[in-house]
Amino acid sequence: MRHASRDQLERSLAYLVSLAAILLTLFPIVWLLTVSLKTQRDAFAMPPKLLFEPIADHFLGLLERPGFVEAFMNSVAVTGLGVAIAITTAIFAAYGIHRFRFRGKRLFGVWLLLAYMLPEFLFIIPMYVLYQRVGLYDTHIGLALVYQAHSLPFAVWLIRSFFKETPSELDDAARIDGCGHLKTLRHVYIPLGAPGIAATAILTAIWIWNELTIALSLTFSDAQTITVAVASFRGYTSINWGQMSAASIVAIAPMLLFAVIAQRYIVKGLTLGSLKG
Amino acid sequence: MVSRRSRTAYLVIAPAVLVLAVTSLYPAVASLVLSLFNWNWGARFDFVGLRNYADLFNSAEFWQVLYQTFLFAVVATALELVLGVALAVVVDRLKFGQSLIRTLLLTPLMVSGIIVALMSKIVLDPMLGIVNYFLTGLGLPPSPFFGTTATAMSTVIMVDAWWQTAFVFIIALAGLQSLPQEPIEAARVDGAGPVQTFFRVKLPMLRTVLLTVLIFRAIDTLKVFDIIFGTTGGGPQIATEVMQTLAYRKAFSFLQMSEAMTVMVVFSLIVLAICLVYMRLEARFEED
Repeated sequence: MRHASRDQLERSLAYLVSLAAILLTLFPIVWLLTVSLKTQRDAFAMPPKLLFEPIADHFLGLLERPGFVEAFMNSVAVTGLGVAIAITTAIFAAYGIHRFRFRGKRLFGVWLLLAYMLPEFLFIIPMYVLYQRVGLYDTHIGLALVYQAHSLPFAVWLIRSFFKETPSELDDAARIDGCGHLKTLRHVYIPLGAPGIAATAILTAIWIWNELTIALSLTFSDAQTITVAVASFRGYTSINWGQMSAASIVAIAPMLLFAVIAQRYIVKGLTLGSLKG
Repeated sequence: MVSRRSRTAYLVIAPAVLVLAVTSLYPAVASLVLSLFNWNWGARFDFVGLRNYADLFNSAEFWQVLYQTFLFAVVATALELVLGVALAVVVDRLKFGQSLIRTLLLTPLMVSGIIVALMSKIVLDPMLGIVNYFLTGLGLPPSPFFGTTATAMSTVIMVDAWWQTAFVFIIALAGLQSLPQEPIEAARVDGAGPVQTFFRVKLPMLRTVLLTVLIFRAIDTLKVFDIIFGTTGGGPQIATEVMQTLAYRKAFSFLQMSEAMTVMVVFSLIVLAICLVYMRLEARFEED
C-alpha cells in the first residue's frame, strides 16, 4: 500500500517535470509565432500583450522582399538534389561495406568518420577558391555537392545499419535464384530497408534545409538558401522583429510539418545510428 | 574469385569515394598546402613554410579563442548530457502520452541554428525581451544576456542547451528502453532503490550509447557556428569568438585566406585527436 502511493507520487512528479520541459521547449517557438503576427507596437509593448489582433502584414511583406521567395525555392532545390545524391551514392556504398570484405575497408570507414567530424571551414575555404575558378560558386549543384562531406557519411552509416537488420537467408535465397548483386540490392535490400532509407532521407533533408555555415560561404544570390535569407535579418533585428519572425516561421514550418508526419522515422533514424553503431 | 569479388566491392563504393575525394580529401589537402603560403586572395602567393603557424601560436587572440571554444564545448556538452539523460529517465517512467511528449520535446532539433539564434535574440532582448520581463516580475534582476562580456558566453551556452538537449534525450530514452530487464529486476529484488538501480545498473549498461552521444555533442559544440554568428557574432569584443567564427572572419571579412586555413588545420588536428581517442575507447568498450 505504502509502495503503491509512493509510486504514484513519483509518477505525478514525472508528469510535472515533463510538462515543465515541454513548456520551456515550446515557449520560444510559440513566442516567435506571436511576434510574427503582431504589429510593431504590440510586439514591443511592455507588459507583453497576450491578447492582440493578429495581422498577416509581415508574412505578406516577405513576398515582396527581394529574393525571399527565390531563397525558399533554392532551398527546396538544393535539399532535393543533396538528398538524391547522398541516398543513391550511400545505398551502393552501404551495400559494399555490408556485403564485402575488401582491402581498405577500415580506412574507408575512418575517412567517412573524419569527413563527418572535421570542421566545415576546413572544407569550405578551399571549395570557395575552387568554385570561384570553375563556376560552381553560387549554384544549386555546387552547394548540394559540398553538403556530401557531411551527408554522405551519415547516410552510409545509417543505411548500413538498416541493411544489417536484413535477414541473411533472404540474401542467400536471392543468390541461389541466380540474382546478381544489382538484383539482390533491388529486390532484397532496398525493399526491406525502405523504412530505414526513408528515415535517412528525412534526416538528411532536415540537416540540409537547416544548414547555414556552408550556404553562407558558397552562395551569394542565385542559390542563396532560406537560412541565409533569414540570417540577413540579423543586422537590424531591433527594428524589424515582425518580418524577421515571419521569415523564421516560414523557414521552420516545412520541417515541423515533417516532424509531425514522419516522427516515427525520425526517431528510428536518430536512435538506430547510435544504438547499433 | 577473390579479386572479382573485391572488384565488385570497389565498384559499388566508387561513387562515394569519388564524391568524398572532391568534397573532403581535396579541400583538406588544399587547406594544408595553402596554410604554408602567404595568400590574401591577391596576386601574391609566397611560400612561407610554417610562419603562419608560428604567428598563430604567438597571437594572444588565438589562445583566447581556443580556450573559449573549449569552454563552450565542455560546459554545453556536460549540461546537455545531464539534462538529456535526466529528462529521459523522467519520461521513461511515464505510462500515458509518452510518444506525444517525446514528439513535443523533439521540436528544437527541427529548427535551424540561425533561427534558434534570432529567436533567442527576441526573447532575450535586454530591454524588450519577454524573459527579462519574467525575471523582473519574479523580483530578480534583469540580465543583459548577449550584451556584456561577462554574460554573453553563458547565454550562448544556454541557447545551445535549449537547442540540442533533445538529441541526448531521444537517444538516452531509446537506450533506456532497450536495456535487458533481468539485471534491473535482480537489483530490485536485492532491495536497491530507483536511484541506486539507475547509477549502479542502468548507467553502466548505457555507457557505450552515452559515449557515442558524448562524442557527437563534443565535436558538434566544438564546431559551433550558427548560434554564435546569429547572436553575438563573436562579441562583445571577442568574448564569444570560437574557432569557426574566427576562421569565417579571417577568410571572408579580411580575405586572409592562408591565416584562416592555418586556424582550421590546427583546429582539425585537435578534432582528429579527439576522434582517435573516441575510436580507442569505443573499441575497448566493445571488448568488455
